[in-house]
Amino acid sequence: MIWFAISGNSRKAPGGQLIGFKGEKAILEIGIDYNALKKGGFLKQKQKGYFIMRLRTLSGNLSSEQLRHAATIAEKYGRGEVHVTTRQGLEIPWVRFEDFEALNQDLAAGGLRPGTCGPRIRAVVACPGTSVCGQGLEDARYAGELLDQKFFGREVPIKTKLAVSGCPNSCSKPQENDIGFMGAVEPLHESDLCSGCGICVEVCPTGSITMGEDNLPIVDLSSCLGEGNCITSCPSDAWVVGRHGFHLFAGGKIGKFPRLGEKFLEFVPQESISSVTEAVLDVFSHLRKGHERLGATLSRIGAAAFRKALVEELEGEQTMEKSAVG
Amino acid sequence: MADIAVNEKIDITRDICPITFVKTKLRLEQMQPGEVLEVTMTAGEPLLNVPRSVKDEGHKILKVERVDDNLYHLYIMRGEG
Repeated sequence: MIWFAISGNSRKAPGGQLIGFKGEKAILEIGIDYNALKKGGFLKQKQKGYFIMRLRTLSGNLSSEQLRHAATIAEKYGRGEVHVTTRQGLEIPWVRFEDFEALNQDLAAGGLRPGTCGPRIRAVVACPGTSVCGQGLEDARYAGELLDQKFFGREVPIKTKLAVSGCPNSCSKPQENDIGFMGAVEPLHESDLCSGCGICVEVCPTGSITMGEDNLPIVDLSSCLGEGNCITSCPSDAWVVGRHGFHLFAGGKIGKFPRLGEKFLEFVPQESISSVTEAVLDVFSHLRKGHERLGATLSRIGAAAFRKALVEELEGEQTMEKSAVG
Repeated sequence: MADIAVNEKIDITRDICPITFVKTKLRLEQMQPGEVLEVTMTAGEPLLNVPRSVKDEGHKILKVERVDDNLYHLYIMRGEG
């Protein structure tokens, strides 16, 4: 018999076993999968003797087969209901502690995986991006899968949330996450194709495009949002895509003290989002104090200091890569 | 640009999304490839969504003309599809 806590706030007993939290105790048969338990995804339910099973999705996607299996699991181990979380996960409540092992094996057999909780990298939230959305500029779904593969469930000093949106509409709210990526394009104008119709001036959401005296548009890229309205609306395809990729936002959170993330990098190519995320986590781990989340660290030291440290970190990585090649 | 020979006209200034695009699309589908539709629309949402959707449907936008502060004429050539 072992004591353990379902929440992420457990502490280790001298013998290495997990012991209860706040007097909440559960008794399990020996043989429970500690590795599975430690990765999280099992949330102690308010009602004694029950836990909530959190499931992992990839950029908010499950196959119909996985969904059917989740339904079966909910009927078999829970009370036949499934909660859809705000971070694109599923949760099955009313699961009995004693079913923990059987449930875990059953999940895996049907291609489902536990979610995560506690001081870890949480589920990566992502919109579909170009995979199906007409507004998408980048494949946010795939980018979310890349981040999930590399970072999901990683143990970090404090909960850390990641999100990816395929365009500045920000449906998956990258600015509300510790680290967020937002798809964006930089418009370039090819004046020999332009008919001078002025539609780009009208559809630009930030008023960054004005009509010049020669009846050709002029764009001020410093205020450009990167949503690409000028490109998609242009009747003569005179606006084309220049740089494109993901803008990096860092320091966002909601909770009791909401704070929007700030933009630190522009047009990060998809193949670099993992190394950029790694760099942000590294810089954060050096600069953070106490129980700060990234946003609190940013508020304390200022965006400029964080930007400087991040740029140094990224340059250091590049130097290392170069020297590795050379 | 030389004057455009217009075959049909439609006014969507009193419609809201997505009817603006739907009306434009349906009218284009009743026309022959190569024929030109003149669409009268307001700035804002219709101007943002109708041209891009029309392009996506494979039609060709010949010209956008500002006729008043808040009023535009969009000239669309019916595509082959």
